[in-house]
Amino acid sequence: MDSQLVEARALEAEITALRRACVEPPAPGEDTSRVRKSFRETYQADSEGWELSKDLRSHLGHLESEIQFLSTLTGISIRHYSKKTEDLTSTEMTEKSIKKVLQRHRLSGNCHMITFQLEFQLLEIQNEESLSSVITDLSIIMEPTEYSELSEFVSRAEERRDLFMFFRSLHFFVEWCEYRKRTFKRFKEKYPEAVHLSEGASSSCMGIRNPSRPGFELVIVWRIQIDEEGKVLPKLDLLTKVPLQALELDKNGVIETAPLSFRTLLGVLGIEATLESLIKSLHTERVMVFRQSRPARTGNRRLPSPPP
Amino acid sequence: MELANTLSQDGESRGGVLAHLERLETQVSRSRKKMEEPQSAQAEESALGTRIHELRRLRDKLRAEVKQHQASVKASTTNVEPDQTLEITEQESLKRKWENVKAILQAYRFTGISGKLTSRGVCVCISTAFEGNLLDSYFVDLVMRKPLQIHHHSIPVFIPLEEISAKYLQTNIQHFLFTLCEYLNAYSGRKYQADRLQSDFEAFLAGPLQRNSLCNLLSFTYKAEPEGQSFPFCARLLYKDLTTTLPTDVTVTYQGTDALSTTQEEQRAAHENLFFTKPLHQVFTSFARKGDKLDMSLVS
Repeated sequence: MDSQLVEARALEAEITALRRACVEPPAPGEDTSRVRKSFRETYQADSEGWELSKDLRSHLGHLESEIQFLSTLTGISIRHYSKKTEDLTSTEMTEKSIKKVLQRHRLSGNCHMITFQLEFQLLEIQNEESLSSVITDLSIIMEPTEYSELSEFVSRAEERRDLFMFFRSLHFFVEWCEYRKRTFKRFKEKYPEAVHLSEGASSSCMGIRNPSRPGFELVIVWRIQIDEEGKVLPKLDLLTKVPLQALELDKNGVIETAPLSFRTLLGVLGIEATLESLIKSLHTERVMVFRQSRPARTGNRRLPSPPP
Repeated sequence: MELANTLSQDGESRGGVLAHLERLETQVSRSRKKMEEPQSAQAEESALGTRIHELRRLRDKLRAEVKQHQASVKASTTNVEPDQTLEITEQESLKRKWENVKAILQAYRFTGISGKLTSRGVCVCISTAFEGNLLDSYFVDLVMRKPLQIHHHSIPVFIPLEEISAKYLQTNIQHFLFTLCEYLNAYSGRKYQADRLQSDFEAFLAGPLQRNSLCNLLSFTYKAEPEGQSFPFCARLLYKDLTTTLPTDVTVTYQGTDALSTTQEEQRAAHENLFFTKPLHQVFTSFARKGDKLDMSLVS
């Protein structure tokens, strides 16, 4: 009987609690009427918000397509940009209506396979007559660093604070690199046994061999250099590798003059035709006689731009 | 019979008959009680049992009610709140994206080439600078049609725009723009040097600076020392390569009739070399700093 009493008491207590729960709202601080009201409000705000975000969304879409277009137009993709402005105008300057502002810009993105990160400071001085903007500091970080020619170029650009030259030369450099890669790849596909690329299509050297005549090899070294002014120039050299006996047979000194002839040929036929003729020459039936010789430079004359 | 049995089972009889009767009475009352208790207890128990039964039923009913109530409120809140929060974060993220995109569009001008989409195509803006100084900008309004056309532009007439567009506009627009960039930046740089020479180093010039609009042919007479004993030299700078800001041809001559002494000849040669390797105004800055004692280290 005691246990039953206990049970009865427990049940009574539970019932009281349940009755209370039925009346009270379950979520803290919210009753059904309030819920209904906020629902109404949000429904209104919802429709307004929808309009706003629809406008924003379409405008955002338009801006994003503009960026995509610029990226295609310039070949440069900017992924991130931020700017901090510091007002350096002193009270004396304000009296003379001169305004001095220092802007700190941070920019990062990529141009094809090369990613860059820039930080530069721009000092703007505005007086009554004119506005002068000067880049007072420039620091550039680039990847990948396997293009050794670029590191020198980067320090030069930083020294001269020449932001535009950096992007211009970067573009031309990448253009030449892509052209070189395309050309090497094409020759490899056309003459798979003759052409040898030690580091794949991105390498700067192309070897030409004849499998039936081992020991003979022509190596084209194609470097892409950036000069003091930021001009991008291709530089091609010919190296020859020849067995010693063949050297002795070369009465006319063909091999000795090969690098020079190569240079002349480049000037006459252009890069692709010259390379092709070299590949074909190693495939003739006549015994080619070569001699070990020093490579000659092709000179600093500016070669035509790479074809599209 | 029972009584007799009870008596005999009790074992020793206590007292006499009175005691015996007492015992009998007690036994009867006890048994009567025993007979009564289950009944009331039963009644009580049954009453309690029913009550518990009722309570249980009520409790279950209320439990179900509360559950339902909770579920309905929960349902309505799930319809309202998450949507609300979703709306806010979506708007926030959209706004953030929009600001970021706008910033990136602005940042393009730092590459030297930026542009705005127009109804016809795009209006490209090319910026120029020299030694970190931001200089003039030029624009080219392109019509996106086959073939690509230049609607109008602000490129100075002495820049070979037709030549460059004939070569690259139709086949490689990037190359077209960057080549134009090269020419314009070089022109801006040469112009800047000539302007600086005229404005900052007037004291060094013995006559007006002669220049053409392309600023690739400059001719002037100067003295390395404005008030010194040094002889006036005549300099002629030619920039054959329109994409450079340094001259390709430099001639420094002495206008006088007497022959030059060896030191003067050295000076003349050194000056020539300086003009080849340094921007014009920087050469004069070094003149101003060193006076007539030319630092040979500059020459190397």
